[in-house]
Amino acid sequence: MMKKDNFQPARRRWLKRSLTVGGAAAGVATGATALASGSESLITEVQDWNRYLGDGVDANPYGMPSKFEGEAIRRDVAWLTADAKSSVNFTPLHKLEGIITPNGLCFERHHGGIAQIAPEDHRFMINGLVDTPLVFTMEDLKRFPRHNRTYFLECAANSGMEWRGAQLNGCQFTHGMVHNVMYTGVMLKDILAEAGVKASGKWLLPEGADPSHMTRSIPIEKAMDDCMVVFAMNGEALRPEQGYPLRLVVPGWEGNMWVKWLRRIEIGDQPWHHREETSKYTDLLADGRARRFTWTMDIKSVITNPSPQAPINHGRGRTVLSGLAWSGHGTVSRVDVSIDGGRNWHTARIDGPSLSKSVHRFYYEFDWDGRELFLQSRAIDEKRHIQPTKQALREARGENSIYHNNAIQTWYIAKDGTAENVEIS
Amino acid sequence: MGKRFTTLAGAVALSLTLLNGAANAADPEHGKLVFGQCAGCHMVGDGAQHRFGPSLNAMLDQPAGSATGYDYSAALQKAADEGLVWDVETLDEFLQAPMQSMPGTRMAYPGLNSETDRIDVIAYLSTFTSQAATSAESEQAKSTEVEERPLAADAELPSHGVLHIGREATPDEITAWDIDVRPDGTGLPAGSGSAIDGTDLYDSQCAACHGVFGEGEGRWPILAGGLDTLTEERPEKTIGSYWPYLSTVYDYVRRAMPFGNARSLSDDDVYAITAYLLYLNDLVDEDFVLSSENFSEIRLPNENNFIEDDRALEPAFVAIAEPCMSDCIEGEAKITQRARILDVTPDAE
Ligand code: HEC
Ligand code: HEC
Repeated sequence: MMKKDNFQPARRRWLKRSLTVGGAAAGVATGATALASGSESLITEVQDWNRYLGDGVDANPYGMPSKFEGEAIRRDVAWLTADAKSSVNFTPLHKLEGIITPNGLCFERHHGGIAQIAPEDHRFMINGLVDTPLVFTMEDLKRFPRHNRTYFLECAANSGMEWRGAQLNGCQFTHGMVHNVMYTGVMLKDILAEAGVKASGKWLLPEGADPSHMTRSIPIEKAMDDCMVVFAMNGEALRPEQGYPLRLVVPGWEGNMWVKWLRRIEIGDQPWHHREETSKYTDLLADGRARRFTWTMDIKSVITNPSPQAPINHGRGRTVLSGLAWSGHGTVSRVDVSIDGGRNWHTARIDGPSLSKSVHRFYYEFDWDGRELFLQSRAIDEKRHIQPTKQALREARGENSIYHNNAIQTWYIAKDGTAENVEIS
Repeated sequence: MGKRFTTLAGAVALSLTLLNGAANAADPEHGKLVFGQCAGCHMVGDGAQHRFGPSLNAMLDQPAGSATGYDYSAALQKAADEGLVWDVETLDEFLQAPMQSMPGTRMAYPGLNSETDRIDVIAYLSTFTSQAATSAESEQAKSTEVEERPLAADAELPSHGVLHIGREATPDEITAWDIDVRPDGTGLPAGSGSAIDGTDLYDSQCAACHGVFGEGEGRWPILAGGLDTLTEERPEKTIGSYWPYLSTVYDYVRRAMPFGNARSLSDDDVYAITAYLLYLNDLVDEDFVLSSENFSEIRLPNENNFIEDDRALEPAFVAIAEPCMSDCIEGEAKITQRARILDVTPDAE
């Protein structure tokens, strides 16, 4: 069993620091002392980094984050699965700004570990109901017209642990199976046109080259609409854990369908009903029936700051509340925020690009009087879908669906600024 | 045996017994890939811990059973007491057929048929005796030869498609990759297998993780049982209780199992294992034989309980004109449940 204290490292540091500095500025780590005058030695004395030379340009051929950002890492939940090679870790949403997830922080989910494939050894095949079955090299694929699109990818099981009630204390764990990336690649429809899809071709089966040989059935309409075959993310080659050298992008739909290490797409006239669309990724309802092919990720939002891993450290006064919202149906048109547990709502400010099927960043600035808060966010998308309450979802589906939990999340803020995952009446 | 070891270079070879014969060098890089079959049960390298099997760090030229803190089977303990030391020769014999070479061992793994695989995986394991060995491995000089480049105008344009990119796939290539099976039987290879044959295959290759009765060891997936639990508080979703189609079992086992050794089973093996999984789920008798002929006749009990996506009909989806903005709920918010009470969040450090 873990101790709650583990979740307030920033807070503990704060407490330690405020003993010496007296509550002036939140900041990092070391050796600051306050002089009797109230001046900070950080300012009145010359610091090491003011004097001694730092690393040269040859120190880090591939740059890494500051050593003071050690908290901004993916984390996993060891007891969830039997083996790390068939498991998941979570994006540290509380450490992110803006809308783009840095490549090294995008959550991972593998079913047979991370395949390491040299690009010159990778082949991509199109077969089935086509005029000419084709094989492409990576170089071939880069000769199709290229497109850059920003999309969120959310695992359908994101927030799946929360169906039966508040479980995990941190938005990284409750909502961290989502990331938002600008992809570079080619439109799937352009590749399919090379092979010539027959009129009877209604379904696609993408397949991965990793040991799980991941497969999912996708209707041809989606493939012809906005699916992409991509080789780059956020300006550089895909990361191995995101399917290097090639992955499928299925905008707005379950992350599981975005097959990594993509090596083949077959065209058929019926779906295949493979393991990941029968045993998994079907949504069991209270009456024992199960929905299948629930592809779209619905409207969803979460407050990332403050949240259990990112408490309020500054005492009462001006407070910036920030969060993320996304919808597989298009753009997010509005996000409302409540600080009193859904009694009253305030429309938040969406800042940064508002792109279809991409994460939106929102802010709500307010003066905290130091009283207890119940923070909630409620997003609305361009198709007028409104993010539901947990109660509404449970009434409609029961508690065993695992997938597609897009309910409103509540964080309780105590008088000392700490935050906790709760359910309220 | 051991031919490939003679030219094994440098630090890697230091701790190894060199054996007679000539031929290729042992290839720890390839051994690393082979180790994928072991990695489900064993860890190596920095921070390696015991899992189902012991950590295999620094195990070469040591007495068997010497990993501290691991609870060995009586069989392995006995072999160790009798003086078994893991060197190239003893490992080679053990890894070829662990359960035959050491009856009673807990290592429920059929073994590596290929000598190359065995020697290479041993070479790979030997790199975990000292740090120097691992770093030496990565220092490989790149060839500096300049390739002659063909002239662009000489390249032939294929006739297919719009942009003429890519080349036609050969029938052999399509057969090699196109192994998917559908509920109507499309994609099933010719062949058959009996539940009886499936018993041995399952016990040796699957039971270590999925349990002798398909009940799932530890947190490994459960494959059998759970009938009539779908409306209960903790449903057990298994092949018998949940999966709609038998074709999914055949397809999945053939493409992804056993975990760490995918695509190693023959088509008939997969028929046999599929038949045995039906038997474990009480759906057929023990003398059942499954084949491409009778496959489509088998129906799984839960087939008709799957419905299409009708989320759009739920009340929360039927667009509400304008969500409430003020005084939406009466009274103050009260906590009904806290994550701290369950406290299942992992350590954030
Ligand atoms: C299904 C799980 C499993 C797989 C797969 C597996 N092992 Fe094991 N292995 C075990 C277990 C369990 C033991 C302990 C045996 C005992 O106590 O009888 C073991 C023991 C061993 C030992 C003896 C260790 C000692 O300390 O004496 C070696 C060496 C070994 N395994 C190597 C391998 C190699 C190499 C592979 C892959 C080619 C492999 N194993 C695959 C489970 C496995
Ligand atoms: C080393 C452990 C291990 C061994 C051995 C193993 N499996 Fe698995 N099996 C797994 C894991 C892990 C998964 C889940 C993989 C994932 O995340 O996609 C799985 C999934 C499955 C599933 C799907 C379960 C579900 O509910 O969707 C089936 C069926 C299956 N295995 C059959 C087999 C068969 C048959 C064998 C033997 C030929 C076998 N497995 C050997 C670890 C193992």
